[in-house]
Amino acid sequence: MKKIILTTILSVSALFAQVDEPVEVPYIPFEIKMGKGFDAIQANCLMCHSFGYIINQGPQSRKHWHGKVVKMVKHFKAPITDEDVEITTDYLFEHYGNGKLE
Amino acid sequence: MQRRDFLKASLAASAVAIGSSATAGVTTQPIDTRKVSTIAFPEKKPLITYSDRPPLLETPREAFTQAITPNDEFFVRWHMPEIPTHIDPDTYKININGLVKQELHISLNDLKTKFEQVEVTAVLQCGGNSRSAYKPVAGGIQWGSGAMGCAKWKGVRLRDVLNRAGLQRDAEWIGFNGMDNAAYYETPNFIREMRIDELDDHVILAYEMNGEDLPYLNGYPLRLVIPGKYSDSWVKMLSNITVTKDYQELFFMDVAYRVPDNDCECESPDEKYPRTKPITNMNVKSVIGWPTNNTVVYHNSHLVVRGVAFDDGHGIKDVLISTDDGKSWKPALLDKDANRYAFRAFRFAFKPNKYGKVNIMAKAINRLGNEQPFAHEIKWNHGGYKYNGIDVVTIEVV
Repeated sequence: MKKIILTTILSVSALFAQVDEPVEVPYIPFEIKMGKGFDAIQANCLMCHSFGYIINQGPQSRKHWHGKVVKMVKHFKAPITDEDVEITTDYLFEHYGNGKLE
Repeated sequence: MQRRDFLKASLAASAVAIGSSATAGVTTQPIDTRKVSTIAFPEKKPLITYSDRPPLLETPREAFTQAITPNDEFFVRWHMPEIPTHIDPDTYKININGLVKQELHISLNDLKTKFEQVEVTAVLQCGGNSRSAYKPVAGGIQWGSGAMGCAKWKGVRLRDVLNRAGLQRDAEWIGFNGMDNAAYYETPNFIREMRIDELDDHVILAYEMNGEDLPYLNGYPLRLVIPGKYSDSWVKMLSNITVTKDYQELFFMDVAYRVPDNDCECESPDEKYPRTKPITNMNVKSVIGWPTNNTVVYHNSHLVVRGVAFDDGHGIKDVLISTDDGKSWKPALLDKDANRYAFRAFRFAFKPNKYGKVNIMAKAINRLGNEQPFAHEIKWNHGGYKYNGIDVVTIEVV
């Protein structure tokens, strides 16, 4: 009987600790547009965040997207080359732009 | 085309050009057309999914018929991509250090047994909730109205923990760091700071949410709860509390989560206001949980409109409902006031007696007399923060 009680207590506490084994955050295949510069997006952006983080920002100006990429370099220390800053900005503006330069 | 017609056309075109060159922000209802994903995250029902890394999940409108948001529908917002996938509650410790008389490393069990246990029911809302209302599109995730929720949090007072450590005389700031990490070592951590004089007895370190362990994605095993304040400082998976004399310059304090430092907290998209301030206290807001947009109902049927209202802790005095586009307003019934920081659920009996599309509007008023403005009255800010427009859902009466 004692044994049964003990197992019950153990299983209850295991249930209570909801994270008793590694959890897995699912991978979501966000549909991102293909095009010139996509390789640079894949190489420079995915390290830190999903495509969802990009496509859910809404359509933005070229200046806005440029500012976002520069923020990744300046504040978040992403190792993006000057050349790739331009390539990724062009890609983002072409596919997720609002048509306005500023 | 006749020459005159051409002239007219070009005049019209230039008028448009002039009109759009002086861009003013306009604010509308937030986007409300997104569907929940087919994929469920750990301990969650499928939610509106913006990102998996870091996880960004929004609660669908239907959850806001209740004063408590269920844990498995509670929104999720992380800043960093690397989140521990396993935390052992038996070895986890929260560290208190810096300008304290005695450094502490407190286990979960000690938190639960060696401090006074307290509970507070409080709204957790992202400062960018409803950002999709702002045009031109403000920077950041284009949340609808579901980057918020209300839970009963249980834990210990931050003040009690700091008192146990003992503050040194020149202690001025408290920094909070969680276990989430960036992909690059050089990326600044998501650390938040609070002035010691901002600390009151309602600020707690919570290990329980609605009677259960915190869900992993809501900050298991311990998070900061700061009732009345936007969620940017409610640090999740809390690992370290460091007391300092000087304010540390941090990206997530100095650049993110700030609004123009003027009375209207607004600016023009063309010319940003030079000074900013932190978003801090939540303004008065309400969201209708049901009916949802495009609900089809029968003429003369008996509807109960339900929703939630809240502010920064002054408390909700009234929620008014209009079904005639704001010409007249009638008070909704309010639930018993459980806690001034909580969602105040409201309900309103409504019998639609005209056919076609009908707008149902909800406007909350707090005990200070502050009331929600119409969406179009809200002025633009670059981060798309603090939207609190009168909520509108459009139903169809057949």
